Amino acid sequence: MSLEFQNVSYHYPGTTQGLNDLTLSVNTGELVAVIGPSGSGKSTLLKLVSGLTTGHSGSIRLDGQDLVNTPVHLRNIGMVFQNYALFPHLDVLDNIAYGLKLRKVPQDLRDAKAKTLLDAVGMSAFADRSVAQLSGGQQQRVALARALAIDPKAMLLDEPLAALDASVRGQLRDQIREIQKRFNATTLLVTHDQEEALAMADRVAVLKDGCLLQLATPKDIYERPVSTAVAQFVGLSTIFKGVVLAQDRVDLGFAELVAPTQNRAVGQIVHALVRPEHVQVDPPESALNRMAGHVGAQRYLGSLSRFDFFIPGAGAALLCEARSLPQGAIAVAPDHICLLDS
Amino acid sequence: MIRGISLVYGGYLLLPMALLLMGSVGNSWTNTLLPTGLTTRWYQDVWLDTSFRKAFVTSLVVALSACAINTVLALPLAYSLYHRAGRAGSWAARLVSAMPVAVPTITLGFGYLIVFNTDWLPWLGSLPLLIAAHAIYTLPYLTNTLLTDLKHLQLNALEDAAATLGASPWAQFSGVVLPNLRHSLLSGLVMVAALSVGEFGLSNLLTSFQFRTYPVVLLQAFYGATGFACAATVILLLLAAMSALLSSSLGTKNEP
Repeated sequence: MSLEFQNVSYHYPGTTQGLNDLTLSVNTGELVAVIGPSGSGKSTLLKLVSGLTTGHSGSIRLDGQDLVNTPVHLRNIGMVFQNYALFPHLDVLDNIAYGLKLRKVPQDLRDAKAKTLLDAVGMSAFADRSVAQLSGGQQQRVALARALAIDPKAMLLDEPLAALDASVRGQLRDQIREIQKRFNATTLLVTHDQEEALAMADRVAVLKDGCLLQLATPKDIYERPVSTAVAQFVGLSTIFKGVVLAQDRVDLGFAELVAPTQNRAVGQIVHALVRPEHVQVDPPESALNRMAGHVGAQRYLGSLSRFDFFIPGAGAALLCEARSLPQGAIAVAPDHICLLDS
Repeated sequence: MIRGISLVYGGYLLLPMALLLMGSVGNSWTNTLLPTGLTTRWYQDVWLDTSFRKAFVTSLVVALSACAINTVLALPLAYSLYHRAGRAGSWAARLVSAMPVAVPTITLGFGYLIVFNTDWLPWLGSLPLLIAAHAIYTLPYLTNTLLTDLKHLQLNALEDAAATLGASPWAQFSGVVLPNLRHSLLSGLVMVAALSVGEFGLSNLLTSFQFRTYPVVLLQAFYGATGFACAATVILLLLAAMSALLSSSLGTKNEP
């Protein structure tokens, strides 16, 4: 069951917020994570697919069928909400079986299916519990099982881990991904947590101001962002403005670097992106892109330290991560410098 | 200091009730600070008085009818106010909340007196008009109780979840909204009953001799024996107190 957005636009009444001419697709069994700053339109995207918000232009197709005239309760799309939205008047088993009861599945069959799903999410011992007795992580597992119970054509996960403690989040993240793969569920995940998106998704869509900036694999999004906006939103980085001096040579003002300029013209303004983990500490004198300077603010992170490195003439500090602090110089290998057009 | 104020306030509230209770079991209370003697005959007299028994039944009929009407009216009203659209809905919700304070029962009563005492609408003194007046008087209280609970439970999130699972709007209302409102509905209805049973101003203006409510008949009792009046008042007081306790205990059951 593929999910396709074709030139989808939507604006909230009286505002400019929403979505602008968005086109993307989620393939069968694929998990696409949608990330972006607040107000970028990522939650709107989910609401439009689920049918909780209507009135868009363009088309949203699920398994080839345009959803525009299908009311929310007939779309058969499973949704997991940030705040779980479990029914407080029903116990765990009845919460999971709720969608099956609406479909008039006989009680023995729906109970059996609900128990199977409870087992799948590791909650079989909690069938008769009230949902109020469950922790946040347990409630979200039940919510996941409830959404899967209706054999949905697609799954929508709306910041499913945002309300959970960090310790639970990592574990549940892996479990959701494992279950999503097992059920081969076509899934759209909305999150503000880039690490969650990179770790869980087959592909990541970056949205800003209602526009799709990039749709690519987590590796490409991180290592080959198409713009400074994507680079700044995904992961930590330092971006220096520069100009192409010659083939594979860039002038940053305070240093001349060797970097893959590809087919850019001499004189073209570019931005050089450096990820902190790609900085080499105390390189040999012969190292390419060697720069002298001094260490500024330091943050101890356990296995490594994150620190600012000030290079004379550079307007901003270079953010670095390494096991030890440099004595007076760092270097960045040419293939770890990503040039972005202005 | 605060404890002292609380004690004085408590005494101010409880003293009249204590005096009523003493008067209802006192044999005689004439020109003395407290009643003298002990008797249960005032309660027996109230029970044997047909006008009191009839008024008690009328009050119950009016209260239960107001509950039934308000259940039908308040649920959709509160639900639509909760899902209010824009300023108009918000204004309507504020109006409903302010109604009990802003419109005294005497104002409502005079309004009905003018409208329903004409040849076109000669319903003054009829039981249906009395029931309708009580229903309208108590409607904002029940609506407010339901509205508060709807906001507290964030039912729109549950409705959204139900909708994505296949629930039609009616299935969302009957299968999710109603079961989650059952405590506040019961609590609100008990409050409606208590308000209706104890209501005097409106009833006094609208009742005929045939359909006098308990508080209206109670006023007559104070022209007779003090003990009888006290016993009749204590019965009303007990009824109202039990309703209030029941209402608050039902309300607290809904706390998460």
